[in-house]
Amino acid sequence: MLYIKCPHCGLRPQTEFSYGGDATVKRPELNKEISDQDWDNFVYLRKSPRGKHLELWQHISGCRQWIKVERDTLTHEIFTTYKASENI
Amino acid sequence: MPENFRLDKGGLVNRNKKISFTFNGKKYFGYEGDTLASALLANGVHLVGRSFKYHRPRGFFGAGVDEPYAIVQMNRNNEIDPNVRATEQELFEGLEAKSVNCWPNVDFDIGAINNFLNKFFPAGFYYKTFMWPKSFWYKIYEPIIRKAAGFGAASIKHDKERYEHKYEYCDLLIAGSGPSGLASAYAAAQNGARVILAEDKSRFGGSLLTSEVTIGNQSGQEWAEKIISELKSMPNVVVKNRSQVFGYYDHNMLVMSERVSDHLPKTDKYIPKQRLWYIRAKEVVISSGSIERPLVFGNNDAPGVMLSSAAKEYLKIYGVLVGKKPIIFTNNDSGYETGIEFKKNGIDPIILDTRKDASSEIIKEAKELNINIKFSYVVVAAKGYKKVNSADIARISDDKKNLSNIENIKCDCICVSGFWTPSIHLASQSGNKTKFNEEIDAFIPSQSKQKETTLGAANGVFTLEETLKTSFEKGSELSKQITNKENKVSVPTVVEKKPSSHDKFWCVPLPEGKNYKRFLDFQNDVAVSDIQLALREGYRSIEHVKRYTTLGMATDQGKTSNLNGLQLVSDVENKVVPQVGHTTFRPPYTPVSIGAIVGREVGKHSKPTRKSPMHYWHEKNNAVFVDAGVWLRPRYYKQGNENLFEASKREAKNVRQNVGVCDVTTLGKIDIKGPDAAEFLNRVYTNAWLKLPVGKARYGVMLREDGIVMDDGTTTRISENHYHMTTTTAQAANVLSHLEYYLQLVWPELNVNVVSSTEQWAGAAIAGPKSREVLQKLFPDLDVSNEGLPFMGYMEGNLFGVNAKIFRISFSGELAYEVNVESDNGNYMWEKILEIGKEFNIQPYGTEALSTLRIEMGHVAGSELDGRTIPYDNSLEGLVSKKKDFIGKRSLSKSAYVEIDRQKIVGVVPLDKKTSIPEGSYIVKDAKAKLPNPKLGHVSASCWSVEYDNPFSLAIIKDGKNMIGQKLFAMSPLKNKTIPVEIVSSHYVDPKGERVRS
Amino acid sequence: MQKYSVFSLIKNAFTGHKDWEVAWKDPAPKAEYDVIIIGGGGHGLATAYYLAKEHNITKVAIIEKGWIGGGNVGRNTTIIRSNYMHDENGLFSEFGMDLWRNMSLDLNFNVMFSPRGIINLAHSDAQMNAYSRRGNSMRLNGIDAVLLNREEVKKIIPMADFSENVRFPIFGGLMQPSAGTARHDAVAWGYARQADSMGVDIIQNCEVTGFDVVNGKILGIRTSKGEIKAKKIGLCVAGSTNVLAEKLNMTLPIETHLLQACVSEPIKPILDHVVTFGAGHFYCSQSDKGEMVMGGDLDGYNSYAQRGNLPTLQHVLTEGIAMFPFLSKLKMLRTWGGIMDMSMDGSPIIDKTHIEGLYLNCGWCYGGFKATPASGWTFAHTIAQDKPHKLNEGYSLNRFSTGHLIDEKGLGTKTWIS
Repeated sequence: MLYIKCPHCGLRPQTEFSYGGDATVKRPELNKEISDQDWDNFVYLRKSPRGKHLELWQHISGCRQWIKVERDTLTHEIFTTYKASENI
Repeated sequence: MPENFRLDKGGLVNRNKKISFTFNGKKYFGYEGDTLASALLANGVHLVGRSFKYHRPRGFFGAGVDEPYAIVQMNRNNEIDPNVRATEQELFEGLEAKSVNCWPNVDFDIGAINNFLNKFFPAGFYYKTFMWPKSFWYKIYEPIIRKAAGFGAASIKHDKERYEHKYEYCDLLIAGSGPSGLASAYAAAQNGARVILAEDKSRFGGSLLTSEVTIGNQSGQEWAEKIISELKSMPNVVVKNRSQVFGYYDHNMLVMSERVSDHLPKTDKYIPKQRLWYIRAKEVVISSGSIERPLVFGNNDAPGVMLSSAAKEYLKIYGVLVGKKPIIFTNNDSGYETGIEFKKNGIDPIILDTRKDASSEIIKEAKELNINIKFSYVVVAAKGYKKVNSADIARISDDKKNLSNIENIKCDCICVSGFWTPSIHLASQSGNKTKFNEEIDAFIPSQSKQKETTLGAANGVFTLEETLKTSFEKGSELSKQITNKENKVSVPTVVEKKPSSHDKFWCVPLPEGKNYKRFLDFQNDVAVSDIQLALREGYRSIEHVKRYTTLGMATDQGKTSNLNGLQLVSDVENKVVPQVGHTTFRPPYTPVSIGAIVGREVGKHSKPTRKSPMHYWHEKNNAVFVDAGVWLRPRYYKQGNENLFEASKREAKNVRQNVGVCDVTTLGKIDIKGPDAAEFLNRVYTNAWLKLPVGKARYGVMLREDGIVMDDGTTTRISENHYHMTTTTAQAANVLSHLEYYLQLVWPELNVNVVSSTEQWAGAAIAGPKSREVLQKLFPDLDVSNEGLPFMGYMEGNLFGVNAKIFRISFSGELAYEVNVESDNGNYMWEKILEIGKEFNIQPYGTEALSTLRIEMGHVAGSELDGRTIPYDNSLEGLVSKKKDFIGKRSLSKSAYVEIDRQKIVGVVPLDKKTSIPEGSYIVKDAKAKLPNPKLGHVSASCWSVEYDNPFSLAIIKDGKNMIGQKLFAMSPLKNKTIPVEIVSSHYVDPKGERVRS
Repeated sequence: MQKYSVFSLIKNAFTGHKDWEVAWKDPAPKAEYDVIIIGGGGHGLATAYYLAKEHNITKVAIIEKGWIGGGNVGRNTTIIRSNYMHDENGLFSEFGMDLWRNMSLDLNFNVMFSPRGIINLAHSDAQMNAYSRRGNSMRLNGIDAVLLNREEVKKIIPMADFSENVRFPIFGGLMQPSAGTARHDAVAWGYARQADSMGVDIIQNCEVTGFDVVNGKILGIRTSKGEIKAKKIGLCVAGSTNVLAEKLNMTLPIETHLLQACVSEPIKPILDHVVTFGAGHFYCSQSDKGEMVMGGDLDGYNSYAQRGNLPTLQHVLTEGIAMFPFLSKLKMLRTWGGIMDMSMDGSPIIDKTHIEGLYLNCGWCYGGFKATPASGWTFAHTIAQDKPHKLNEGYSLNRFSTGHLIDEKGLGTKTWIS
């Protein structure tokens, strides 16, 4: 079971969190012209590297904050965790 | 029957407490402290089971977790345990066990015919035959094979035993209480570290219990006892026996199963049978020791052939002789220890040593004891079917290729030692890339991936002196890093016998003209010839070998077979072992009871059940409940002999004619506050929200970014910056996370907070033409007239002393209100509504009537919003703003979503106005078309329209917009139904929505 | 090639099984092939087999990083079914069922296809309706399906929990009688043996390190065993698709996730069918060895580690006991993990790509094993004809742009929710 350091609460077991996928996906701005392809890329394309992966988790049974976690998808090692507001 | 093989004295069993037990219906005696295996051996019982494939007789091979044979079925505490390892099961009074995988009995097993036909059943034979004719595999061959499969028979009764979980954190978890475990635990404990020391057996001490060593001025066993009692007295140490650390998972999470009650005849009331420990450790010490390797020779699977270390353990711990005429067959010094132990107890062993010559202290001791030692000698084949009665032995040439001087000698057991295999399972599970150690011909841990340290024999260190030294050091060092304390522990002096080096030879060649089976995997009957065949056929990767032959896939997971298999593959392939590589070690190290893994979440507790504050009222009033997500909701309230159909019709009708009340507590509720709340809602919902006045509610639809409808519900503006959102019961949690996602990650500039308030409010929907009258009586001081509280209006009131929120919203399509009070007052509110409503013929209604009401009104719900539909499909396009942007809007322009004949919701009425259309039917043009019959769409919801007294359904069908008036068919082949239908508007009742505004 | 039969088995028994030939050879790669299939799993091997058999294209190499059959075909729960609601999935899978039924004879290798029937349990009327929707769709597509009520289910699997003390009572179930299981390793080996006999080179322990793409056209691959040229290249590496796509500068609508499964110790036969739990995600069957084969949810985060964590299995087994209380007394013997290509609508992709000569077969989620023959068959067709077969037209890459998604579960792009 992963041990995730919530930047707000500290180390907590994975069972307190829910997963949110690729954290590098950026939602296009509202009311902005965007091509079909760019939009589809936003909706459907995900980074899924073997190795370092920046991903979202929500501390759902804790502070309910969404956080960003840099984790290795091959070894599951977690390098750093960030608050939602931190830009990486 | 008296025991024949128990020594008069010696061993650690409690000879003052005699225990009776039965095996295969026969009564025997043993002592407290015995295992089932040791007690049977004391009684001279060697035949315990049959092998998997050939049904060859099976005895005991080991004395612990490595045991590949001795699996029995037990009856304990009036419960059946199908596969119990006799070498691990401690004896208790009245224990009942029997053999498995044999019929009619272990002595005479019909299945053994396989053994005589074994030449037709080499590895993988089943891949080459049973193919023709086509259906025979499934109909004829497979049932026969299946019948023969499996060991114990499971009972289909519910397991009445109790299993618990425990979550624990510690500085050091130490797996194994042998010398390395004890020393590291002791050193760490001295530094103040929180230590958990786990031992899978009932006795602590590991190899110290059976080895002839001196530590300080004590015997190994005395020293172990002293250390353990000291550790037990320390508050920072948890010492657990009967506890197997079986899994090393991510981020230093280890899992241990503790067999709390298995050694007792009964499980006490407040004690579990087993306990599963999830342990998060800062550091892990793996001190799991090593397992002796078998030597491989002809018929080496016969009962009576066993590991020399096991024979020694039976002698030293249980005072049991595994035989009275033993052959010790060894390629290293370990066999001598067993031989000497026999000799000391008055038994004359013969030691066959594969080495040409060897000298060491222990060999010298054996010689001095006049033990018959034959160097350059091997066992060629064991003789005897159900029990070894003699052995063919031979001199082996220096190059280990040729046998000579073959002779048969009498014996009743053959104790083999092919050197030691470190138990690297946990280290490997942790991600440690193991390395091959040439010196010991085995893999040992190398670079750690996680915080793990392997010590002692598990790390390939076989001398006590070095083990203790490094273990004290490591224990101290690891704990010091955590506690910043250092209390030096002095390493005691050790007296042990220095061993000579072992012989790499392990597999005895076949003598000319003989075709003995030489087994590697004893349970699965994998012989040397099987591996050779697999390699010959091109199954050369070790994974292919394993899968083709089933090597190492039995319940012992290859603890005694894997390494020999590897050596054989590398020999045949002319490779070195590390090139071949081992298969992956995965948890569990030993099989773990599924009951323990699951713990208490069984029966009604398998998932939490949520109940509304009015639940007990519903129960008292004959509600029949239905699962709605994790909630239980009344489906209908049964009156007399009514069935679901009659009751829901009555309830729905009463809503249409008078007034009904429905418990809507389960709806998700989210409190939304902040100056940007309106803007936020405007982005979340498809419709416009900026101009919603205070005191008004609005219906909204929200999409996922892919344009699919996610949820719907009403949101009410309570005050300037305060909104109350409702969601469907099923989506409540998802919607909250969804909102939090956008607020925290996408639009952090919005000053809005959201919090779930589902549990805070109990809700009752009062619906029907007389609902206003009920409401007025509930709130006599309020103006609830159509002007005072118009459709989609909101006000707060006082309901006989409790604060209430009143929403004029409707799901039923009738004039309706929803009243919310704080949860604690829910039942009070509910009873008041029913009391007040009595004069208006109010009746409670359940989800079934609710469905009827919404379906005939054409209101969509979960069966339409199924994660595959866009607003248009549900006739919700009117709620999709063209002016503003919102979540998912951009996706709505996808070509499939704007196709001219895009699917749309319609109403469906059977032409005969009688036949109900089963939900899940499909609408087709031609009921007799050839399959696959093109489908226009499916029937999502059906009801009996109480308004028109005929069946009515909703369907989402292709080009629904232009289908109104068409005569088509609803087909449910599952129910053998083809129903001619007419397509009508989905708004079957009150299409203009006048009632809700009345 | 030697023919396998009971007669050849007996004959060889008398010569000590010394004369069996290799099932497939271990050749060094040639300089050039007509088609290279990357990935020696079930789908890759089947594709090569059908290329040779159906399209007479035999200058084919299978390039496998490790050993053949080592991916998901070697680590699954062996369930074979076509009980899909969407037409694309249903018709595709049902075509596969026919191939399964004939596979042992076709390959002269007993893959032990065993149509023991699958039952999806329903625990509410709403779920019965959802299953009706699925079952009716199957029937209208010519696929066998039966809706069972509680009593009928009880007759077939009396060991399921029909007691009072149950959180989710069994209302009934949807059964596909012709669904079943097969011996997974045998499928890989059987295809390999036949493909090899028709001239396909099976090249193991050969890692693809790069692609040669010039002017939008594929020319070959670079591997740990040197450069290999090819006119066409098929990517068949579910689980590693994203790793190879990265080398092609492609991003795909696929996330890589971990799915665990486990078996119990063998017990005497107790369960003859494949059964799935409706109030969660758990499936179970009993192997011919007697082991209960069980699986359920994904571990729920992107992963390439073929190792999972216990809480997921705990959750899965909790549902297992809720369905079959007898499981409590069994022991979990072995666990393993497989890496899944989770596509954004839960359905696979078999299509051409924007690179000429490069074909894609991926996104199988946890349904890849059953699809092995149909996937190989249609992928071979797509490669040979340079256009999809009717059966895999729906599995196009551009469905994510057009909106013609095939979402059996209606869960959208959160692939980790199962």
